[in-house]
Amino acid sequence: MKNTIVKKLTTSLLATSLITASFTACGSSDNTSSDTSATAESASSESSDSSAPFRTLDEIKESGTINIGVFSDKSPFGYVDENGEYAGYDVYFAERIGEDLGVEINYVSTEAANRIEYLQTGKVDIILANFTVTEERAEEVDFALPYMNVALGVISPDDAVIESLDDIGADNQVIVISGTTAETYLTKNYPDIKLQKYDAYAEAKTAFENGNGVAWANDNTEVIAFSIENEGYTVGIPSLGDQDTIAPAVTKGNESLLNWLNEEIESLGTENFFHADYEATLLDTYGADYEDTLVVEQ
Amino acid sequence: MASLGIDVLFKGTNFLRLLQGLWVSIEISLIAVVLSIVLGLLVGMLMTVENKLLKVILKIYLETVRIMPQMVLLFIVYFGTTRVFGWDMSAESSAIFVFTFWGTAEMGDLVRGSIKSIPNIQFESAFALGMDKIQTYLYIILPQTVRRLIPLSINLITRMIKTTSLVMMIGIVEVLKVAQQIIEANRKVSPNAAFGVFAVVFLLYFLVCWPISRLSVYLEKRWA
Amino acid sequence: MNKDILIEYLPLYKDALILTLKIGWQGILLAFVIGLIGSAILHFKIRVLKSIVGVYIELFRNTPLLVQLFFIYFALPKVGIQVSAEACGILGLGLLGGAYMIETFRSGLEAIPTIQNESALSLGMNDFQTLWHVILPQAVSISVPGLLANVIFLLKETSVFSTISLMDLMFTAKDLIGMYAKTIECLFLLVVFYLIMLLPISILGAVIERRMRYGQFGD
Repeated sequence: MKNTIVKKLTTSLLATSLITASFTACGSSDNTSSDTSATAESASSESSDSSAPFRTLDEIKESGTINIGVFSDKSPFGYVDENGEYAGYDVYFAERIGEDLGVEINYVSTEAANRIEYLQTGKVDIILANFTVTEERAEEVDFALPYMNVALGVISPDDAVIESLDDIGADNQVIVISGTTAETYLTKNYPDIKLQKYDAYAEAKTAFENGNGVAWANDNTEVIAFSIENEGYTVGIPSLGDQDTIAPAVTKGNESLLNWLNEEIESLGTENFFHADYEATLLDTYGADYEDTLVVEQ
Repeated sequence: MASLGIDVLFKGTNFLRLLQGLWVSIEISLIAVVLSIVLGLLVGMLMTVENKLLKVILKIYLETVRIMPQMVLLFIVYFGTTRVFGWDMSAESSAIFVFTFWGTAEMGDLVRGSIKSIPNIQFESAFALGMDKIQTYLYIILPQTVRRLIPLSINLITRMIKTTSLVMMIGIVEVLKVAQQIIEANRKVSPNAAFGVFAVVFLLYFLVCWPISRLSVYLEKRWA
Repeated sequence: MNKDILIEYLPLYKDALILTLKIGWQGILLAFVIGLIGSAILHFKIRVLKSIVGVYIELFRNTPLLVQLFFIYFALPKVGIQVSAEACGILGLGLLGGAYMIETFRSGLEAIPTIQNESALSLGMNDFQTLWHVILPQAVSISVPGLLANVIFLLKETSVFSTISLMDLMFTAKDLIGMYAKTIECLFLLVVFYLIMLLPISILGAVIERRMRYGQFGD
């Protein structure tokens, strides 16, 4: 009997060490290029040169399809309508990209927390999922020119409007979506606020409606849209933190695609494309008032 | 409170999409089950081979599958392999890979169990008749184990279908993700859609898995 | 792999492990209780209750935990039933586990020869006394390997809690990957912590199974 226990123990330990070994083996190659934790991920861009986790502009054109990561549950920016078609402000832009490149679009449904991962592993060519430009993210991916303005906002129910983050009690929870700028901002600047985190927009919104948190912090565009579309909610804090921009992102080092995107955004600016985009997709939600605050043309 | 959101399902192609999402789950499970049965037979036979190194390797494999949650394996395969080896696996192939990895271990263990339960005398008789090892397995041992395995592998199908609910996490648009999309697109007009839509998803899973697990119980009783 | 990152993240994973175990054991306890009551109902073939237990088993064994959790957490509040994330996790795990525990206990009960039941009754014990003093102690011990298998299964299933905002191990890994993209370190810690949590139980299960087999040979 003892024998079998020992056997089981050793095999299990072996299993552990094997997994550990395979991880460290891969890790050590990463480590050679970077020792400080701040730049650890520069390794991924370096290794990308050899194994190229991204497709160049020519490769995309040749294949005839481009993979674009968008939200599928973030109306009115990226969602799926009742006929199963992708729609929204980001998607309107994506359609144009596909048209101008002359390729088919394969939409990949992404969650906020997966966006960097999708680019770094080359599973999508472009992320067009309301991706706010931040310093931390710029270390991981390459952003093209911006096409929208954004800041953070906090929305709460009418009967208990939160107008300052100091109003939030010690036991109260604020809903955020994992991997968004709201999460990073609150974690960094208000570490005492308890966060309730969800993967998907649909989950977070339903939980907020159900009263699982006292407030929901997210891009102000998103919370303003929610307060307009749903009765009984007020955006108590319309602008929090820095004014940021939203831009398409590509895998770090994918210069050919990045340059093409920048030229595309510049040329679209001359025809006021993003104003047209706003009018087609956002006007119903926001009205005309927000058009000039939200839209960025180059 | 008037509407619980069932009506939302009949707008546009919503219900059809939900069923398509369900089919994605079933398809992944079926492919993985077929692969698991084939590989499981092989692994199960290897498990009966008297070879120390082989035994240890297979033991580690079994233990890994037993301890690691499928969701962890999905993440490791989908995100980890690209990082480490530079493989670009689609979400679907990652899911099939993980489910097969898991199913093969389970099937292998079952196969080992049923081969072990076949009396030694059958091997000896077969050898005495001049059959070699492969012939013995192919004509004598496997036919007996397969029959015993069928109910168990049918059971594995339902467990796989249930586990496919996790593939949403690696970006596969299956029934649960479609449900979320429908809820999101109709939030304004039907704020209670979450109830109706999730209830229907719950029911759909049940309607798929229940008959299959009944069949497995029936076969088990009949062939036992 | 970067050692500093591992050390930096370690406390977060430790908290997650504690939360996973906290919710996990409460859910498993609930499952255990449901299992005992349910199997007793099936054992005594109590009318009406018997069919309810039957429907419950089929319903929860044939649907994924993730869908059960979504229903309890996101859908029930729409009809006025508010459940906190923690309560939902415990309830979901308990209900799923209960359906499996009933089956495990029942096979334990069925393994006890009916002669023992008859003997106890002829000694003047009533149904409940027979169950409590004679049958159950044996049935539970026969069920132990099955129970431990269920415990491992249920602790593994806690990985889906991340979807209802519970900061368990899976959640912590996903969240950190989303914020800082240190994928390899995060996945590595995830694997290590699941091993820390489940390996001892798996070993315990193997030990007990051997012991049981020893006991049975003595029969």
